Amino acid sequence: MKHLFTTALVGTLALGASFSPTFAQAEEINVVMFGMPFTNGLKELAGDFEAETGIKANIDVIGQDVFENRITLSFTGATGDIDVVHTPVIQVQRWIQAGWLQPMTDLVSADTTSDILAGPLGAYNVSGDQWALPFFAGVGLMSYREDLLEAAGAEVPQTWEDMLEVSAKITNDDQAAIALRAVPGQGFNMFIFPMVMRAYGGTFFADYEGGDLTPAINSPENVEALNVYTKLINEYGPAGAGNFNFAEVNAAAKNGQIAFAVEGTGIISQIVDPAQSKFADVTGIALPPGGPAGRSPAIGVHGMGIPADAPNPEASAKFIEWAVSAETVSKIALAQSFPDFTTASVAENADVVAKYAAIHPDFLKTRVAALDLAIGHYRPLIPEWPALGQAIGESVNAAINGLMTAEEALEQAEADMRDILGL
Amino acid sequence: MTQLASPRRGATYELQRGYRLMMVPAILAVGIFAIVPLIGMFGLAFSDYHLIRGTSWEFGFRNFAKMLSDKRLMNSIYVMASLSFFGVAAQVIIGSAIAVGLQKITGKWRVGRVLFLLPYAVPHVAVALIWLSLFTPTLSPINAFFDLFGITVPAFLTSQSGAIFAIVVADTWTNFPFAMLIIMAALQGISPDLEEAAAIDGATRIKTFIFITLPLLAPALLMVTLFRFIDSLKHFPMIFVMTKGGPGRSTQATNYYAYVQTFGNENVAYGAAIAVMLFLMAALIAYYVAKLNQRVTT
Repeated sequence: MKHLFTTALVGTLALGASFSPTFAQAEEINVVMFGMPFTNGLKELAGDFEAETGIKANIDVIGQDVFENRITLSFTGATGDIDVVHTPVIQVQRWIQAGWLQPMTDLVSADTTSDILAGPLGAYNVSGDQWALPFFAGVGLMSYREDLLEAAGAEVPQTWEDMLEVSAKITNDDQAAIALRAVPGQGFNMFIFPMVMRAYGGTFFADYEGGDLTPAINSPENVEALNVYTKLINEYGPAGAGNFNFAEVNAAAKNGQIAFAVEGTGIISQIVDPAQSKFADVTGIALPPGGPAGRSPAIGVHGMGIPADAPNPEASAKFIEWAVSAETVSKIALAQSFPDFTTASVAENADVVAKYAAIHPDFLKTRVAALDLAIGHYRPLIPEWPALGQAIGESVNAAINGLMTAEEALEQAEADMRDILGL
Repeated sequence: MTQLASPRRGATYELQRGYRLMMVPAILAVGIFAIVPLIGMFGLAFSDYHLIRGTSWEFGFRNFAKMLSDKRLMNSIYVMASLSFFGVAAQVIIGSAIAVGLQKITGKWRVGRVLFLLPYAVPHVAVALIWLSLFTPTLSPINAFFDLFGITVPAFLTSQSGAIFAIVVADTWTNFPFAMLIIMAALQGISPDLEEAAAIDGATRIKTFIFITLPLLAPALLMVTLFRFIDSLKHFPMIFVMTKGGPGRSTQATNYYAYVQTFGNENVAYGAAIAVMLFLMAALIAYYVAKLNQRVTT
């Protein structure tokens, strides 16, 4: 017995001795991001940051699906194991309210912030404090097959009503017209569907800007929009389109199975890239369709924030400033398919401009036009949005797949919204 | 006598103390990684912990009361029951059939058994991704093949019954080898003399299987069914990857619904209450399995 304890004691000391040098290691920070062209590019440049600052950055790029669980567990457990966190703009209010982020107002320099597009930067300015710096602003665009439009004798649709007409002309047994995200989720069908909603004058709340957050999802405008969305997917989409997400839309466009895709810039830039799609040379880019209430391209902004429990906020801020610097972003824009940058001076980099002009001459121009039209609160910037978006997305998907009518689906969504908001 | 017995008792005692000491790491591991989180889950289930709305840490039965009138929960139990019933039935039937078939294979072809075990080794997320592409008409080679003959394969993932069928297929594909393994082991325990005796008495192969083999397999079949049933209460990866609970909410099984409440709606307390309900269901079945196991082995 005595021997057993002696062995255990010696073993423990030996293990302790072998681990002890880690305490003397250089400064390290842990960065948790989810997979996007920018974050993948950033991971490859981690060595540059270490060479420049002497701080080792462990950049963990994980799937978007598991990201939410990973960070929720870390933040609620106050583990302090994340120094820099991927911060989607739709989450920022929720995270601030939950006390998961710390402001970086005094940690980042004016030189850095003055080179960032004002809209995306402002989206992270809550109650006078800066909570994250943006690196990505994706907007909704439309890709269209010029050859199929010409064969059908149709023009590029300007409204969703036009889209229904043109789609009817294009669709036949061998060719579908359009694919749209249908899978339920605030980042899935609820990234695309509000473009139709807002075009018809629909809103989520009675008066969001005026502060009246009474749910208004079952309005006649929204019902009309959902009927259009459902019809486009079911009558003019490929088989199985009721379960499509962005990956399936992307694949259908690249395989020539559809004429139109209304998607974020990240997907559209791939659809029109000759290196990625054999139909790229006959594919054009336009603004997403509008309606009686105008055009409202989807907008999604992503940034990087500092968790409340991050032990070394100065090092975290240093990393974020490096990551959004013109030099780093230009490198990523050249190495990856990443035209969604928010660092203004990157647009003056001749190599970057030349690269995206070569993919498609209209790409950067149309992106700027869409950014001009997009409203910041395209998806409401309130803490409850992720839960609301999930519930509405489920109802929208139920209508698409014929489980209920548009009216029934939006009545259900209205009831869910009241439940989530505690009304 | 006393002189002899005393050192022997001492030696046994020493040995047992040694064994007990060796169990300490296992007890600590189970304590830390199973019991502590379980206590936490029970505590949360009775609390009002909400990530956004704020928490006053008032404890009570409100979450359990809410469950009684929650239509989404009722829907999720119905979905879970459908997935479990069809999935477990398919896994046990297919697993048993293949086990019986493989038992007859002898010689070098026995290596082929490994092939049937492969799906069990594939991570569930990978299984779900494989079947998602097979059930997506625009990506599926199955659809492409039938298209050549002008046959349209329906889109399974866009209807309630189709989506449940698709998840059952994916779940069965990866889990039937478990049933197969258990049944194979049970078959090896059946003496060939019994089948030979039946053959001598003039019984056909089918009759021998139904009246001799099957009754002897019954305890193993029951055991494997219950084990698979407990596991099937935890449906998650297939739903998460293949349908996200859709179409609508038609594949939102209870475990997935607990996830939606916890991570989507931020209602951690309510999510924990649903998890407690699932835990109690699983514990009840596990208790029954243990009792049954005891009866079979004695």
